[in-house]
Amino acid sequence: MRKLVTAAASAAFIFTTFAMPAQADNHSAQIAEGKSIYLSKKRGNCISCHQISDPDANQAGNQGPPIVAMKQRFPDKRTLRAQIWDATRNNPLTIMPPLGKHWILSEEEIDAVVEYVYQF
Amino acid sequence: MKIKTGLMLGAALLTAGIVQAADSGFDLETVNPEADRKALQAYFKERFPKAEIEDYVNGIYAVDAPSREQWEALEEFPPYEFDIEEGERLFNTPFANGKGYADCFENGGIGIRHNYPYWNKEQGTVKTLEMEINECRENNGEKPLRWSKGDISRISAYMAWTSRDMPINIQVPKDDPRALAAYLDGKKFYYTKRGQLNLSCANCHLQGSNIRVRADIPGPMLGQTTHWPVFRSKWGEMGTLHRRYKGCHRDSRSRPDQPQSETFRNLEYFQSYMNNGLVSNGPGSRK
Amino acid sequence: MIRKTIFAALALSLSATVVAAPDSYQDAFELNRAMYGKGHTFVWQGKEYSTDHPEEIEAAVEANAANAAALIASAKAKNAEVAKLNFEWKLTRDIIKKAEAAAAKGEFRKALNLAAQAKYHARMGIEQYHYAQANWHLSVPE
Repeated sequence: MRKLVTAAASAAFIFTTFAMPAQADNHSAQIAEGKSIYLSKKRGNCISCHQISDPDANQAGNQGPPIVAMKQRFPDKRTLRAQIWDATRNNPLTIMPPLGKHWILSEEEIDAVVEYVYQF
Repeated sequence: MKIKTGLMLGAALLTAGIVQAADSGFDLETVNPEADRKALQAYFKERFPKAEIEDYVNGIYAVDAPSREQWEALEEFPPYEFDIEEGERLFNTPFANGKGYADCFENGGIGIRHNYPYWNKEQGTVKTLEMEINECRENNGEKPLRWSKGDISRISAYMAWTSRDMPINIQVPKDDPRALAAYLDGKKFYYTKRGQLNLSCANCHLQGSNIRVRADIPGPMLGQTTHWPVFRSKWGEMGTLHRRYKGCHRDSRSRPDQPQSETFRNLEYFQSYMNNGLVSNGPGSRK
Repeated sequence: MIRKTIFAALALSLSATVVAAPDSYQDAFELNRAMYGKGHTFVWQGKEYSTDHPEEIEAAVEANAANAAALIASAKAKNAEVAKLNFEWKLTRDIIKKAEAAAAKGEFRKALNLAAQAKYHARMGIEQYHYAQANWHLSVPE
């Protein structure tokens, strides 16, 4: 059985030699891109299952949890990224498609979605 | 390997409202269609306590009052009415050799829809109504019809119409283990995640049957095949069950099977068995 | 008001989501890829690895006609494998066609990247098939 560990411990578990790429310069462009992916049926289509309090997100579904309190739920943004990349790791039966693992979105697109939803 | 029977998975399963099946049977030695059927009814009874089991032939309209109102209004002047009439005309139009569809089916093809699909021991395969409509044509020197829509869906609609309210009666004969294998194959297909989106039929129509995808609730698994062929508003016309199968399969971002493939016929066999005890109520109308 | 209720419910039901420790190389790879994307390295059992997919590493060769043709051929072969299992994905053939079109126009880097994606998709389909054989029953109600 896989052991659950705290976020801090798991961060210590993983040694990386690179940091996330610098994003400050194009952050608002990245958020806009993330929003477009979130809403687009052909791309992320996140809206089909997740409510989000963005005025442009109409008729969201409720198959998944609403996008609220993201910073509290995911103090480490990378944990959120991992959940979007492959939600089946935590729940093999989930309806949520493994957006990264199945290369439904590119890595850049996933980064953009993370930045967009992390505002809520 | 990803799945561990441990605390985490247990928690995930409970969250999804699904308990790991102990008695359902997942191989030829243990699979038990009747146990599966009862378990499915129990599942929906628990999920929607107010919905009557008989009402599942009406899909989400059994469980979702607002959509039911719209649908009942639609059914006052059913969009499939013309197709039934046209189907009747086609059914009664003789082939070039003077014979007709009535000569190919039991009871002249009237009131038999609820027995389909069935296991054909001689041919060692599941036979669907549409399949036998086309075989009837070919045996009488006519060209087969295209599987998904058009005349085949009209003839099938008429034949379903003559069987309305007859209890669905699907048999998995015990004297041929291949029949049970076909049932198991269909069951396995229904529960297997596939395609780039990693979706199983069950993901939406069982697990997700009480929650919305955008504004829509997925049709519940119980009763899913009773009312075909269907006039679907999205198509603007009639289509066969296998047309819908192909679309759904494609929606998981799989390269879809073709109508009347062995896979889809086995799926229809499994799904129809699940509906035993409900009534045949095709053709239907859906969004 | 509704948001507040949802928030309260979430706060009760979910403490901060944490990540389970990897239990195999494959899991460690996927977790690091999931958290950091491509182009990163991680250590598993004392050894350093890249988060790039094997197909991405295959594509990181000189962009020329021969290399593009080879990777496209290899993607096609992998896709034929998954098709046999009846687990072929919907878009893979199109991606291969796009790779061929790019190669025909002399855009070999683009062709290599598309072929890598197609081959990866095919490999994931095969993985999905084997996973399903062992685990499909988990979602059947009792």
